[in-house]
Amino acid sequence: MPCAETESRLHAYFDGELDALAAAAFEAHLETCAECRAALEGLEAMRSALRAELPNERAPAELAARVTAALDREASAAAAQKQGPEDELMGDPLAALTALAARRRAARAGRPARGQSTPSFGRGLLTGAGGGLLAAVLAFFLISPYVVSPRSALLDDLVNAHVRSLLPSHLVDVESTDRHTVKPWFAGHVDVSPAVYDFADQGYRLLGGRADYFEHQRAAALVYQHGPHVINVFSWEGEGALPADTTRNGYHLAFWKDGNLRYCAVSDTGWSELSKLVSLIRAAEGQESHG
Amino acid sequence: MTDEQKTRAVSVERSSREARRARFDAQVLPHLDAAYRFARWLARSPADADDLVQEAMLRAFRGFDGLRGGDVKAWLFTIVRNCHLTGIAQRDRRGLVPLPEEGEPQLVCPAPGPESASMRRDEQRSLARLLADLPPEHREVLILREIEELDYREIAAVTEVPIGTVMSRLARARAALKARWSMTSEEERDALR
Repeated sequence: MPCAETESRLHAYFDGELDALAAAAFEAHLETCAECRAALEGLEAMRSALRAELPNERAPAELAARVTAALDREASAAAAQKQGPEDELMGDPLAALTALAARRRAARAGRPARGQSTPSFGRGLLTGAGGGLLAAVLAFFLISPYVVSPRSALLDDLVNAHVRSLLPSHLVDVESTDRHTVKPWFAGHVDVSPAVYDFADQGYRLLGGRADYFEHQRAAALVYQHGPHVINVFSWEGEGALPADTTRNGYHLAFWKDGNLRYCAVSDTGWSELSKLVSLIRAAEGQESHG
Repeated sequence: MTDEQKTRAVSVERSSREARRARFDAQVLPHLDAAYRFARWLARSPADADDLVQEAMLRAFRGFDGLRGGDVKAWLFTIVRNCHLTGIAQRDRRGLVPLPEEGEPQLVCPAPGPESASMRRDEQRSLARLLADLPPEHREVLILREIEELDYREIAAVTEVPIGTVMSRLARARAALKARWSMTSEEERDALR
């Protein structure tokens, strides 16, 4: 049992939700509290077991094809009937209820939906139905901080390269969990020589490497598997300021540099999980350059 | 409007529709696997999960213009979850109770999960099985945090509860899973004796 007053902070610390100051304070507490140390180990053990055990499922190819076909039909139906696609939900009392509930939730959150309504939201309300989804979606964005991603070609390149790698048979050019296989492969196929490590014991298994072209050079991509998530660690040569860490199209991008090498880890893992891999790589790099 | 103007208007509309579809394909479709994984934990069967994902993707496409910022995955999960809840509500209203699949025990609380049907007996004690047996709100918060790795703010948005509730629910869910897990470990030790 963790000590009572720190239980909430224990979970927040474990999930990477504390700011640096609060995290440092909690680490100081951990030094003196064996109960919390044991509780933290227990949480870690269960998480590792869960992530290792749950199957890494992908959507079946038939489903992907079905979804694409449904989207195609939807697009042509919308073209034929300019009334607007939401109308087909009209008359569904549940949708109307959902819309009402979402508006109440938005109102409770202290940000009246009305003031921020968009034309399509307004139309959803006018029809008295069909606004369910729109209202729910809007309510979601009313309670989420408004995020504006910086527009930049590099960020686009990185996200596109990551998404491309997720397509069947695009993930790795050289498949190996052995860094002594991947590193020499890079020497012949890309313009940089990045640090290559496997962190399977820490939950980040090296799957292999790949060459990607951006920033006018053959950049290296190291591919890690973490639970069901793929993480690409890109590296290329560059100068000047690094972009700030950001989230784009649902993927987190974490940047760092080592000498003239630029690194970016891209994935749909959580931020704390992505940061953990970044620290592992940086610590390994640090050891190598000092050892 | 002249014919030429009409033709031009139609072609402008078509290209804006195509651009919208291309943006959807680039921003939302890559999260199909994640949506499917989440749906597998919500739905009763793989076939239900397929239907759920298809419905959610269509709704996402219709509501796509409302999407702002980079939080696509959490946004899509919200839609998947809402589709699931809508489906349950509709079944309840119609008084439909799907028949249990042949050979499977009927559970009071449906316990889905990627391997529920084909699991061997000794695997039924696995952590995945224990997770599947948790109450839905505990299961959901654990899946979103430990597997899909959403942060508290995103989980709050997806499950439509305040962040404080996410934190307390997560703590309770972890405690519940841990209790069941250590219980099965003890049983295993006993069985080995």
